[in-house]
Amino acid sequence: MLLDYDRLGWLRVALVGFTAAVAAFLLLPVVFIVLLSFGSSRWLAFPPPGWTLKWYQQLLADPTWIDAALTSARIAAMAAILAVVIGLFASFSLVRGEFRGRQVLRGLLLTPMVLPVVVFAIAIYAFFLRIGLAGTTVGFVIAHTILALPFAIIPITAALEGFDKSIEDAAIICGASPLQARLRITLPSIRIGIFSAAIFSFLASWDEVVVAIFMASPTLQTLPVKIWGSLRADLSPVVAAASSLLVGLTLCLMIVTALLRRKLSR
Amino acid sequence: MQGSSFRRSSVAGLPAGSGSALPALLLVGLFFIVPVVALLLRSVTDPEPGLQNYAALFGSGTYVRVFLNTFLVASVVTAVTILVAFPVAWMLAIMPPALGSIVFGIIILSMWTNLLTRTYAWMVLLQRTGVINRALMGLGIIHEPLPLINNLAGVTIGMVYIMLPFMILPLVGTLRAIDPMTLRAAALCGASPFEAFRRILLPLSLPGIAAGGLMVFVMSLGYFVTPALLGGTSNMMLAEMIAQTVQSLLNWGLGSAAAFVLLVVTMALYAIQLRLVGAKRAGGGI
Repeated sequence: MLLDYDRLGWLRVALVGFTAAVAAFLLLPVVFIVLLSFGSSRWLAFPPPGWTLKWYQQLLADPTWIDAALTSARIAAMAAILAVVIGLFASFSLVRGEFRGRQVLRGLLLTPMVLPVVVFAIAIYAFFLRIGLAGTTVGFVIAHTILALPFAIIPITAALEGFDKSIEDAAIICGASPLQARLRITLPSIRIGIFSAAIFSFLASWDEVVVAIFMASPTLQTLPVKIWGSLRADLSPVVAAASSLLVGLTLCLMIVTALLRRKLSR
Repeated sequence: MQGSSFRRSSVAGLPAGSGSALPALLLVGLFFIVPVVALLLRSVTDPEPGLQNYAALFGSGTYVRVFLNTFLVASVVTAVTILVAFPVAWMLAIMPPALGSIVFGIIILSMWTNLLTRTYAWMVLLQRTGVINRALMGLGIIHEPLPLINNLAGVTIGMVYIMLPFMILPLVGTLRAIDPMTLRAAALCGASPFEAFRRILLPLSLPGIAAGGLMVFVMSLGYFVTPALLGGTSNMMLAEMIAQTVQSLLNWGLGSAAAFVLLVVTMALYAIQLRLVGAKRAGGGI
């Protein structure tokens, strides 16, 4: 009975109530930060004494915020493209390859997701200091591509495992070259996986703080580094405005994802 | 699929089908394996060859306290996360989809929202003069503001918030895989709801709880951002100590040694987790 929603009785009231409370807990900071960003209090008093747009004006008037956002977007886009392309190739090998150590290879390529980021951060920072890539866009992109790669490989391999290879073989029998078959049959079939890979690897870089803190230089900082710096200095409401824009971006991304998934899976 | 007749011959002596993994392998090998190994070597060579960094790490009360505190925080966070996540996952597994999708949407929204944004929100909410303290005082529950930030309470709230989706989502899968008939049978045989929970539902979901809990524990052990912003100086965690040792103290040898300890613990627990998940998958087909 415990797994029959309609027959839980009083227990259902308690459990649904608890679930609603947890949902509210999960929603609380997100809603709070958006409300706060329109509040007029410099000291983040809540409920705010009045409503204002001045934090957004300050944010948009400050070129360092704009720069940081553009830098983040640029690095995340490059890291996502690299991670998806490299991850796509690797996934073919991981799913279809017939060689010993395939599972070991898979484990190895997914390790960057498991290893605490701080370990990787100081390792790659020390390495880049030595070869002169610390504080450069190239260094940023390389480090973020490594961190994004598992997020690309997991959805793509999952999609590829669910794809029946005999369809690709059929295309080859009908005269397509192996490359043509892959480009025109296989890739479109696993497009949802590739799409998820792109989103996840973009977010992996866009939200990345720890490597970025080490890698950043005075002239090159990403949005999370900028926010991190402001948080350590003071809890300025400008951060609330920046955060709210990020929440808005997340919502847009969720809606686009849901719509695209629906469209792609038709 | 494996036995396809369209297997391509191996290129340049590489094992069949491994060639397309080369770019990934090169990237991870050169920019992940090499730096991490170099860092670990540094722990026994910087400033001079020997184990003095490890001796300093385990010989000093300060660092031992950081280790203990890291395990304490990770354990508390994992326990609270499991306790909160289980009922939610349970409901999500059996709720009408229309209702469930709202909760799922909220979970995804919180999970995808920028990590710093969420932590910032908690910093403001948990302040001495923050909303939570003011609300509790307004309701007359407390008379003086509770210290909710820069201590264990702050880290726990902030970390549980971040870890909940990682526990809830896999648990929903585990609970959905349990046949409701088993629990109906238990009820027919006279088991009270509590007994059915203790003897059927809980044991059957234990592999999922263990796998998810271990993942949360491992992630918490190495977490940097949230403990650094919501925790206090007296209960610093390992990741923050590593970053500080390297960035502020420029003591690379000691930082590398601490990183190595974190790496070994994480990887060992990860190996156990893989076994659990593997065992669960193998058993899922029965």
